[in-house]
Amino acid sequence: MTMVQDMPDTSIPTPHESPRPTIGALFRRRPELVSLAILIAICVIVASINPAFLQPSSLIDMGRASVVTGLFALGVFAILAAGGIDVSFPAIAALTMYSATLFVINVWPTAPMALVVVSTVVGGAALGALNGWMVHTLKVPSLIVTVGTQYLFRGILLAFIGTVWLMELPPQMIAFGKAPLLEFQSGNGVTVTLPMYFLVFPAAALLTWFMFNKTLMGRAIFATGGNADVAERLGYNQRIVHIFVFAFTGALAGMAGIIHVCANRMANPFDLMGIEIEVIAAVVLGGARITGGTGTVFGTITGVLLITVVNNSLVLVGIPSTWQRVVVGAFILLAAAFFVKRSHKS
Amino acid sequence: MKQGLKNTSLIVAAAVAAMGMVSTSALAQDGKSITTVVKISGIPWFDRMETGVKKFAEANPNMDITQVGPSTADSAQQLQIINDLVAKGTDALAVVPMDPAIIEGILKRAMDRGTIVVTHEADNQKNTMVDVEAFDNAFYGASMNERLAECMGGEGKWTTFVGSLGSRTHMQWVGAGEENAAKYPGMELVDPNNESFDDANLTYDKAKELLRKHPDLKGFQSSAGNDVLGIGRAIEEAGLAGKVCLVGTGLPNPSAAYLDSGAITAIGFWDPQKAGMAMNSVAKTLLAGGEIVDGMDLGVEGYEKVSVKPGPGDGLLVFGNGMVLADKDTYKDYLF
Repeated sequence: MTMVQDMPDTSIPTPHESPRPTIGALFRRRPELVSLAILIAICVIVASINPAFLQPSSLIDMGRASVVTGLFALGVFAILAAGGIDVSFPAIAALTMYSATLFVINVWPTAPMALVVVSTVVGGAALGALNGWMVHTLKVPSLIVTVGTQYLFRGILLAFIGTVWLMELPPQMIAFGKAPLLEFQSGNGVTVTLPMYFLVFPAAALLTWFMFNKTLMGRAIFATGGNADVAERLGYNQRIVHIFVFAFTGALAGMAGIIHVCANRMANPFDLMGIEIEVIAAVVLGGARITGGTGTVFGTITGVLLITVVNNSLVLVGIPSTWQRVVVGAFILLAAAFFVKRSHKS
Repeated sequence: MKQGLKNTSLIVAAAVAAMGMVSTSALAQDGKSITTVVKISGIPWFDRMETGVKKFAEANPNMDITQVGPSTADSAQQLQIINDLVAKGTDALAVVPMDPAIIEGILKRAMDRGTIVVTHEADNQKNTMVDVEAFDNAFYGASMNERLAECMGGEGKWTTFVGSLGSRTHMQWVGAGEENAAKYPGMELVDPNNESFDDANLTYDKAKELLRKHPDLKGFQSSAGNDVLGIGRAIEEAGLAGKVCLVGTGLPNPSAAYLDSGAITAIGFWDPQKAGMAMNSVAKTLLAGGEIVDGMDLGVEGYEKVSVKPGPGDGLLVFGNGMVLADKDTYKDYLF
């Protein structure tokens, strides 16, 4: 529970809290606990329908599947906290991962993996900073700016860099995607592997938590998301806040992109299209308000796990593929309705 | 926005075409010209097709036979290229349409001007004289399933993947597969028609989940080009290569590593080299005033005895027997 953020949020009035808080009040104060409760409920239901869900292999698969969504979600959380929104991160990830892979294949086949990762992170941060600079300078809503740059980045990728799928990755990238953190044989002779790159997700979560809770920048971001004018009068430099927060998201997107390529063992420039909806849904389910200024890292992780579990247990439960999208959609609507109701009450 | 782009390129195309008509009126050669227009140039599939077009050109030195295509997957660019070719007066067009609906108009105009029009991978194209298809979809699906059944020894649980439930050909393939599997009472279809959206990563996650739900799952039949890569990776990482069978549509080069490791049992596809030659062969016959009839030999491997049916428009649908099922031992003959 140390991951819970103390919300410096002025929009939720707290005076009429009773001395002995009821469960309802607790949920209102800590919306991420609602998601956690839903997550636990779903796990119990799935496990009771099909106990195979509780195998270590299934938990490991879900841990692995949550990495890319999780990195994206931490970035979106940061931007929502600052009162903005970003839909360009999948394009940033695609552009950086494809360019880096192409460069390694054609120019420098022996490039060390650490350098490849750093270059995608820096590249992502640069593209993100461009978003932030435009949001600040043009004084245009960040949704508009990032819808624009999303087309721009994807367009540059397809028009100038390449449309061909890269199937033969250099060996160091394949090794990075395969390196096991944990490997064992399950009962029926199936090898289960938790890859090393999984660690990137908790590491990034810790970093994000640290930034929001222990640094001045974190306070500045929440203040900006709460009320930008007030934050400016308090002396927080809006330009730096905007550029920083979008660059942070871009950097996480770059990291997610290169992990996606290495895990997948191919670089497809058309990949990751449309993932933004799922990621934003995860962050909102994690208790962050789409209007900004609130949210916690813990909630974001809960939201990511929720989406991952729902996406990875429908077959296990036996819902035919025709119905899977219906279930996911209904589920998001239900949770969203709950959160809207909560914010009306408070 | 996309529509706007298309309109702009239409205007550009018209302008280019007009200029073409004014400046170069003659592309006059001794023989006739056949131009193959592909969806995208520079990707492995159509590079492979070009080798077939070149072979055909070598066999017919008196004719002017070439292949062109847009540099990106953009139906407006393809339209522009066809416009240009019609204006220049090529004698025959062999088109692999990006989007059949977009080029209906220009193909009609081309035929009105006396240009021979042949298409491929477009059995819904109305304005074409002959649409050449590599195989009959039902036959393809059944053949893949037969290979799967052989690998599974005719018994065990199996499942199917399609690109999306709306993909007509994929549903035809797995449908025919199910019919074929009915011959083997020991084969049990479980959780069929999983959607892959041609996304290898998503397919990987789904395949893992299916393997977890059914630890005794013995076979996969997949449809979209990327499915074998996702399922193959799931099988390989689980150490099940050779124990679980996987037969699906795929291309030899990308699948090579998984075929070698045994994670993919066999891939099904058609050879674009042969399809390119078949299209050109049909165009040549039509240029010479010949007719395409049921059972005729196009002089191309896999198209020795084509079946002819009426197409959706005034043209004909020609089916070859151009399906290839390649496994570990044979894929090296088709590296593309």
